[in-house]
Amino acid sequence: MINTDQKILKANRLSKNYGAIQALNEVDFEVGSGELCGLIGPNGSGKTTFFDCCTGLVPLDSGMVMLEGQEITHWPLHRIAREGKVLRSFQKNVVFGSMTVEDNLTLAGQMHIFPNILSTFLHGLTTRNRLKSLQLRAAELLDLVGLSHMRSVKASELSVGQQKLLQFAAVLMPSPRLVLLDEPLAGVNPVMIENLSTSIQQANKEFGTGFVIIEHKIDVIMEICPRIVVFNIGRKIADGSPAEILRNQEVVEAYLGV
Amino acid sequence: MKLSQIFRSKTGNRHMQFKMGIISSMLFIASLLLLPLLGNKYHLHIAILSMIYIYPALGLNLIFGYTGMLSLAQGAFFGVGAYTTALLAIHYGWPFWLTFVSSGVFCAVISLLLAIPALRLRSYSFVMCTLGLVVIGEAVSKNWVSLTRGDMGISGVPRPVLSLWGPGFVVSQVVHYYYFVLMFAILGVFLFYWVVSSPAGRCMRAIRDEETLAESQGVYVWAYKLNIFALSAIYAGLGGSIYVLYMTIVSPLIFQMYHTLLFLIIVFAGGAGTVGGVVLGAFLFVAIPETLRITPDLRMIIYGLLFIFLAFRMPNGLGPFLVRIGESFFSSQPKR
Repeated sequence: MINTDQKILKANRLSKNYGAIQALNEVDFEVGSGELCGLIGPNGSGKTTFFDCCTGLVPLDSGMVMLEGQEITHWPLHRIAREGKVLRSFQKNVVFGSMTVEDNLTLAGQMHIFPNILSTFLHGLTTRNRLKSLQLRAAELLDLVGLSHMRSVKASELSVGQQKLLQFAAVLMPSPRLVLLDEPLAGVNPVMIENLSTSIQQANKEFGTGFVIIEHKIDVIMEICPRIVVFNIGRKIADGSPAEILRNQEVVEAYLGV
Repeated sequence: MKLSQIFRSKTGNRHMQFKMGIISSMLFIASLLLLPLLGNKYHLHIAILSMIYIYPALGLNLIFGYTGMLSLAQGAFFGVGAYTTALLAIHYGWPFWLTFVSSGVFCAVISLLLAIPALRLRSYSFVMCTLGLVVIGEAVSKNWVSLTRGDMGISGVPRPVLSLWGPGFVVSQVVHYYYFVLMFAILGVFLFYWVVSSPAGRCMRAIRDEETLAESQGVYVWAYKLNIFALSAIYAGLGGSIYVLYMTIVSPLIFQMYHTLLFLIIVFAGGAGTVGGVVLGAFLFVAIPETLRITPDLRMIIYGLLFIFLAFRMPNGLGPFLVRIGESFFSSQPKR
């Protein structure tokens, strides 16, 4: 099937219940290629659940997810990730603590160049070149986020902010078309916030990577994202430019306050 | 040139560790090769047992130390491997290498059958499930009398014959066995090292650290766990096979908790997630209780106290402790 549609990720009427709680209620969402999109809303409005459903971490109750014209609705997390087109980060601060920074990045990239499991066990001269290319990519991304001097440090020894930067570099490893960032700025000091938002804009410009960013730091989001989507109680209540969002009465009542 | 200068390298920590690892493993192998010149038969017997236990301990290390799943089934696979070799050698007269390989294959099949349902379980339930296999193993070996001869066990397993042609060479004396087992041990350790330093080894550590994150980066966690469970069972089964080739007798006693516990001790106290620590642990924790036979009354008490001491002073195990000492000795001294 040839699809000339420019949309990378298309979510169609997604619904998800956790017991009596309706986390997502018929949400429609589309992201185009190279788009920078902020996703905001009060706590428990279904933002993270939306990411979970799109990336296959939790199964959907109903609805459909399309990735570049291909339906991925019921694919498991690892399969969607191995496609390497849409990747996500987590709200929790997660890195592989016992591994070095470089190894963290190598792992993030290696599953895309080793298609089947057996080939990851049988390594030797033939895989060395492929791993070299990963190291080059890792060095490039460490430069981008400014962690080059930490290359062979164990990830558990990094500060919270540095771990966020590492996590950000890791999702970019396989050169995805779209990245879903879940609160990348939470717990990060002001200097690092500046660093990270520059890195996001730089990655967007240089690699053409699209971003959907969940974040509570509204000012930062308003600054870097030309498009903003607002969720409330499992529903999409607004979608537009920062100026439009600020003028939207429903958004102001639900989230932004007076 | 001073020894400390050899270890001071421009590429830093990792390179130095690698060098140290190579040098110390060369020294270790050399001393093992020379051991028969110094030790008597009893010493060699202890060393042979240690080297046999390296196999199931490495298997446990693979699944617990590297992948983070605690499996108590190593004792069961060790026994299954031993019985497989004994039965095939006695009833069918298969040569030792064929029974050796068959033990590994048979354990892999059983482990896959167990793993497919067991991998649905999380942490503690998984441990209980693997423990169940040990209990079943013991019950089957005791009660399926027509096959296993029950409590009497199977004796008279033929000694391994090394032959390319003609009658070949029968491994019968302790010294022969020593080199025979040493060869397998070296092979097993190097294969293990090869596996854990592969991209798959990186996946294992990733699964141990953060399972969901690994999955979100394309690691098919379930399939890896399945493969690794099978691989650890193969290691245990091969160990059991060598064990019965050496002892020439196997009984349901092989399924006793003693073995399972011994493997746990070797891995925990030796250093889970390291290769050298576990190899060292296998020698130490087989040799120590034997050495303590000089005080039969206090033997197990001292052994127990040793573990309490180890738990407090070396919580990550012996291997990482020695590496840290080595690093501080070789790297910090010349810099300051």
